[in-house]
Amino acid sequence: MDLLLQSLVNGLSIGSVYAIFALGYTLVFSILGIINFAHGAVFTLGAYFTYFLIGGQNNGTGLLAGAQLPFGLPFPVAIILGGALAGLVSVGLERVAFRPLRARGADPLLALVSSLGAGLVIVNLVQYLIGAEILSYPTNVYGHWAEQHPSLNLGTASFPIQIRTVQVIIFGVSLVILLALLYLINRTKMGKAMQAVAENPTTASLLGVSTDRVILFTFLLSGLLAGISGTLVATSFSISGPYFGLAYGLKGLAVIVLGGLGDIGGAVLGGFVLGLAEALVPGEYTAYKDAVAFLLLFLILMLRPQGLLGRRLIQKV
Amino acid sequence: MEAFFQTYGFLLVYMCLQALLGLSTYLPLMAGQLSLASSGFYAIGGYVAAILSTQVFHTSGAYPIGYLLLETLLAGLLSGVVAVVVGIPALRLRGIYLALATIAMVEILRVVSLNLSITGGAVGIFGIAQPFSSPLGYMWLVGPLLLLVMFFAYRLEGSRIGRAFIALREDELAADAMGINPTYHKVLAFALGAMLAGVVGAISAHFLNTWNARQGTFDVSIAVLAYVLIGGSRSFAGPVLGGMVLTALPEVLRPLKDLRFIVDGLLLMLAAIYLPQGLANPNWLARRKTAPVREKT
Amino acid sequence: MSLLEVSHMSRRFGGLVAVNDVSLSVQEGEIFGLIGPNGAGKTTLFNLITGLTSPSSGNLHYQGQDITRLPPFRIAALGLARTFQNIRLFGNLSALENIRIAHHIHTKTGVWAGVLGLPAARAEQVGVERQAWALLERVGLQGRAFERAKNLSYGDQRRLEIARALALRPKVLLLDEPAAGMNSAEKATLSGFIRQVRGEFGLTIILIEHHVPLVMGLCDRIAVLNFGQMIALGSPQKVANDPAVIEAYLGVET
Repeated sequence: MDLLLQSLVNGLSIGSVYAIFALGYTLVFSILGIINFAHGAVFTLGAYFTYFLIGGQNNGTGLLAGAQLPFGLPFPVAIILGGALAGLVSVGLERVAFRPLRARGADPLLALVSSLGAGLVIVNLVQYLIGAEILSYPTNVYGHWAEQHPSLNLGTASFPIQIRTVQVIIFGVSLVILLALLYLINRTKMGKAMQAVAENPTTASLLGVSTDRVILFTFLLSGLLAGISGTLVATSFSISGPYFGLAYGLKGLAVIVLGGLGDIGGAVLGGFVLGLAEALVPGEYTAYKDAVAFLLLFLILMLRPQGLLGRRLIQKV
Repeated sequence: MEAFFQTYGFLLVYMCLQALLGLSTYLPLMAGQLSLASSGFYAIGGYVAAILSTQVFHTSGAYPIGYLLLETLLAGLLSGVVAVVVGIPALRLRGIYLALATIAMVEILRVVSLNLSITGGAVGIFGIAQPFSSPLGYMWLVGPLLLLVMFFAYRLEGSRIGRAFIALREDELAADAMGINPTYHKVLAFALGAMLAGVVGAISAHFLNTWNARQGTFDVSIAVLAYVLIGGSRSFAGPVLGGMVLTALPEVLRPLKDLRFIVDGLLLMLAAIYLPQGLANPNWLARRKTAPVREKT
Repeated sequence: MSLLEVSHMSRRFGGLVAVNDVSLSVQEGEIFGLIGPNGAGKTTLFNLITGLTSPSSGNLHYQGQDITRLPPFRIAALGLARTFQNIRLFGNLSALENIRIAHHIHTKTGVWAGVLGLPAARAEQVGVERQAWALLERVGLQGRAFERAKNLSYGDQRRLEIARALALRPKVLLLDEPAAGMNSAEKATLSGFIRQVRGEFGLTIILIEHHVPLVMGLCDRIAVLNFGQMIALGSPQKVANDPAVIEAYLGVET
């Protein structure tokens, strides 16, 4: 029983990271109707950016072997700055990989290939500059107290629910980000403009919404979310190398489809569903844990392709 | 000349194998179905050959070609059966949704093959017997196969079933209203592509001498899709050209050393943006195809 | 016995009732008109008959056979062919290829026979080629056979779509606004053409049309739909004088 509760808390924690990562995917999809396959690479970049911003040294054997920034920022500042840099990269991607295609009204499939190409460039650039080695965040990123207490008991002495402190912190940070994001989307002018463009770009531009600005902002936000979630995952485990984000990129697809492609609430729900489902895989089958996302993806597509929260589409003849 | 084949024999065979994989993704796309499942069927085919040749058929010396052909046959059949079973429910989906379902299939297969003992787990299966003494020997098998499949695809485009495929690609609803059974033809196109991918996998397992879960991944799916889209998705020549060029590219870029994969990604991106029709421009093909001898009554 | 029998068919989309309890029967050989204001449910009724939309309730019988739940391609194979209000040709393919494709149900070459070019497949191909050219000539498009369908003029596209439907050798031809976008001279020509093909191909024709004079002059019987319900059915004269129809079209309070 305590093991089950432990798994649930872990599931919520990883699920919340899935949710903010997937939100970046789904925002771009809702605005442009395309899936940005470079999103996983931006997630990776975010983790690297933050690592170097806190003064981490490159243990890799790439061109910049042994390199280190001359300063180290406090982690809370570094993660935001790292996310912002990832956001800028994402905006750059929009410029080079998506905008030229959009300007021509090209087949959305080509955006898939161009974003994959862009993702490849990023991943291989990281490999070239940094190297393929694992980089680990220092254990004290979340402060001295968290370092001293690597696990917490959320239950009682007789009924212990042991959980890693870092998971609890990640869960808290993710929730704050989620709430901030929901506020931004539902309460601010830019958020409403995004919703308008998602609903109907033509009408939105007739109403005076600058579609280009909304798209730029969406990519900035999407990259920021990817960068921050990349950092959060890296603090919990480590940066496993330039391909760090690939598995998350693919799982993120499962998350957004689970909730309903392009649906913001759906991405959050999908993130938690996947996190919990993975956490509940029995111990003897942990090797199959990575298949859970894709099993869920396949099942939802067979049973309810519009996703858990999506509306059924009526085809017009 | 001999030195050339000595150096590039492996690459030439590999280019043909990849061109064939491109065709295996092109076949469902001909019926308008964006499937990324080729790498999954490729993996299945490879495991069939790897398991049969290392555990079932015990031979010494050069591996008999007859066994190899039997393996490719079984690999093709198994892939075809799996394609029908998966395809009937999955092909109700359209566009990106089908692509995502096929990604899910590939990833599930990958995780399963990582964990089963019969597929050798994470290590995979190695020491797969060689039917030919040099890489170039495979050309005797792969070359004719490529020509045959190209002929098949070319003739299919102008035949009754191929027309039904193309009608579905152009407008599924109108094709349905014209009496074309969408499910049957979509599953058929999907299964044809799957069988081809399975056959290519079986040959590749021998050619590469080893087979593991890294052979059937999302990356491979995407590489193959790139063959089709960069080569051109509206005629069989596209995936062949795309598969060959993109496979040779890292080799051509070898002087760039570590930078070559960056340039590779860059070229993929630029090709998607600046060659929307693909390398094989379909317009001249279309002109030739629509000008048959006129039958006058 | 009637050829096509629609009984108590309804179709709801969410809260909207697009077709509401419509019953009608179409006799063999007649030209049956379907009119009504925009959004009256005419195209939905076409989609119900051709299987593109499944009914919420009601039945559909063709030659005494229940075809209510059959998929579109089976209904097409039974002899009901249609055109679309917004023209759904295979736009990237040539006019000739569009018609070749529509011979699908009358041919049976499989994958291998087609690829290998076996004698039976070749004979079939020759037959398809001959019939496709004959149909193109029938609609006057033989000179544009190799033109991509989407590059044809609007009127030519409409004619090509009719030719494509005729390639199915249907017993019933359903035309969804065949005269849309045509000038009055073209409409008169079309009217004559529809009459001719009915005789030539032994067709029963159901057509949706907005242009009232064309419908009145062409149809043997007319059904009027308004807000999904059938408000009148009968000869053109009878329908034209029906107060409910006049109200629906002119919005006169009675």
